[in-house]
Amino acid sequence: MIGRMLSVELLKIRRKLLWMLAALGPVGVIGLQAVNYGLRYDYLMKLYGDSPWEGLLQQVGSLMLPALFIGLALVASMSAGIEHQAGAWKQLLALPVTRLQVFGGKVMLSLLLLLASCTLLLLLTLGMGLLLGFDPQVPWAEIVRQSYLPYLAALPFIALQSWLSIVMANQALPLTVGTLGMVLSMFSLLMPAWMPWGWPDRAVRSADALQAAGSGLALGVLVLLIGYAHFARKDVS
Amino acid sequence: MKMMKQASGSWLLETKGLTKKLGGKAVVRDVDLRIGEGDIYGFLGPNGAGKTTTIRMLLGLAKPTRGGVTVFGKSLAANRMEILRHVGSLVEYPSYYGHLTGTENLEVIRRLLDVPKERIAEALSIVRLEKDAGRAVKGYSLGMKQRLGIAAALLGNPRLLILDEPTNGLDPAGIQEMRELIKSLPGQRGVTILLSSHLLSEVELMATKVGIIRSGSLIYQDSIASLKARTAGRIRFSVSEPEDAWKRLLELGFEAERDQSRLTVGGAADRTVASIVAELVRRGHSVYRVEEERSSLESVFLEMTGTGGSL
Repeated sequence: MIGRMLSVELLKIRRKLLWMLAALGPVGVIGLQAVNYGLRYDYLMKLYGDSPWEGLLQQVGSLMLPALFIGLALVASMSAGIEHQAGAWKQLLALPVTRLQVFGGKVMLSLLLLLASCTLLLLLTLGMGLLLGFDPQVPWAEIVRQSYLPYLAALPFIALQSWLSIVMANQALPLTVGTLGMVLSMFSLLMPAWMPWGWPDRAVRSADALQAAGSGLALGVLVLLIGYAHFARKDVS
Repeated sequence: MKMMKQASGSWLLETKGLTKKLGGKAVVRDVDLRIGEGDIYGFLGPNGAGKTTTIRMLLGLAKPTRGGVTVFGKSLAANRMEILRHVGSLVEYPSYYGHLTGTENLEVIRRLLDVPKERIAEALSIVRLEKDAGRAVKGYSLGMKQRLGIAAALLGNPRLLILDEPTNGLDPAGIQEMRELIKSLPGQRGVTILLSSHLLSEVELMATKVGIIRSGSLIYQDSIASLKARTAGRIRFSVSEPEDAWKRLLELGFEAERDQSRLTVGGAADRTVASIVAELVRRGHSVYRVEEERSSLESVFLEMTGTGGSL
């Protein structure tokens, strides 16, 4: 059933540019880094001395987080927006599917698209490092960690944005919340450890990256459960 | 409220005391719908009377504040999935993914219903959309979108079809087409249909049974024939020398009324009409027209719903 819901969601985003949006984030981040390295290659190479890969990851990480925050809000909004636009909630929920399957299908679509973004970023980072002639001894663990831990740490926001975008026909509020989240996340260094807006950043650079990702996963599941409980009780108009 | 003789539990769809309160106000109050197998049930009421809210509850889209829905002899609350597998619906306006083609729109629903792929072609042919099935739906006319909505509702081979205002916004040709389509379904496919409308004339031509809702309460429910019987068809005669003719009819004991050149007789059976005509002709009157007064059916509705013009 999970597979069927996902296949339906993927069918619905045909010709909808959602895949392009998912690619736009990583391409933009790496594009900007290409400019960055093009302009100040010597400076950056000297700065990071004998660990150029680490330097590249640090540079990419600083741009990736805002892109992730705004990207997840846009993806959640667009995937729910397909139903709002079509006036299809009533049709969907009058079919023999459970509300959990419908809610889950939407969340899975967003998770899948964002996972594709993170994977694309990983590949592009790798490609850029190799093109710049960095040591072919690629620090795999670091690259994989940086690509996917922030994704896990951002799960509460994916859950929140999915929930808001699904239950509200007007996407202005969900997108405002998403944008504010992105702005807030930029001040992560000033945040106490318990604030979730700082977790994706902590998942990139701090020693307790795993803990940040784990917290994100746990809180994300909780927000999903709350969102689902709300959606399940809601009357559909 | 008169009820048809049918044992309780044998209805295809039945509601008991169905009530929905929104913000403390009951928009649907103690509605007891009874729909038998093979009926085309016309669900009538003015706009805002609670038709769509009732239909939402029949489909599990909204939860009743009180009361329950039984479909195919089972409680909807406890058997939602099983029941919805055999129910097709089109609520208010058609749902469609504009960027997808007609076929892709049906494929979305087909995957959720898990029915064979051939059903798509069958449903498209029932609503005669085969030719346009490959086009993006955003380019469809409203009538075509509505037909696609019907095709989607038919995809799972439903036993019960719930159509909320299916002719809303269609042009006369579209309305005619939709009417023919709906009328043909029970005969061909054994489908029971619940059809809502705010227009009596609309439902009158299709329905075998009607329910009338006003301000959230069901105020009438019976066969369309009994409703017509309540109007006790008045027959109107246009004749020459109406004054003379009228007096003659009164002499003969007919309760005729005169309005200028027209005479009307209430509750006249076929035989009575025939003998009145024969008498008038024998007396040398020219009989120009003999008509049944159809407006009286509308007036019964207007009395019931307390609205003018449309229901």
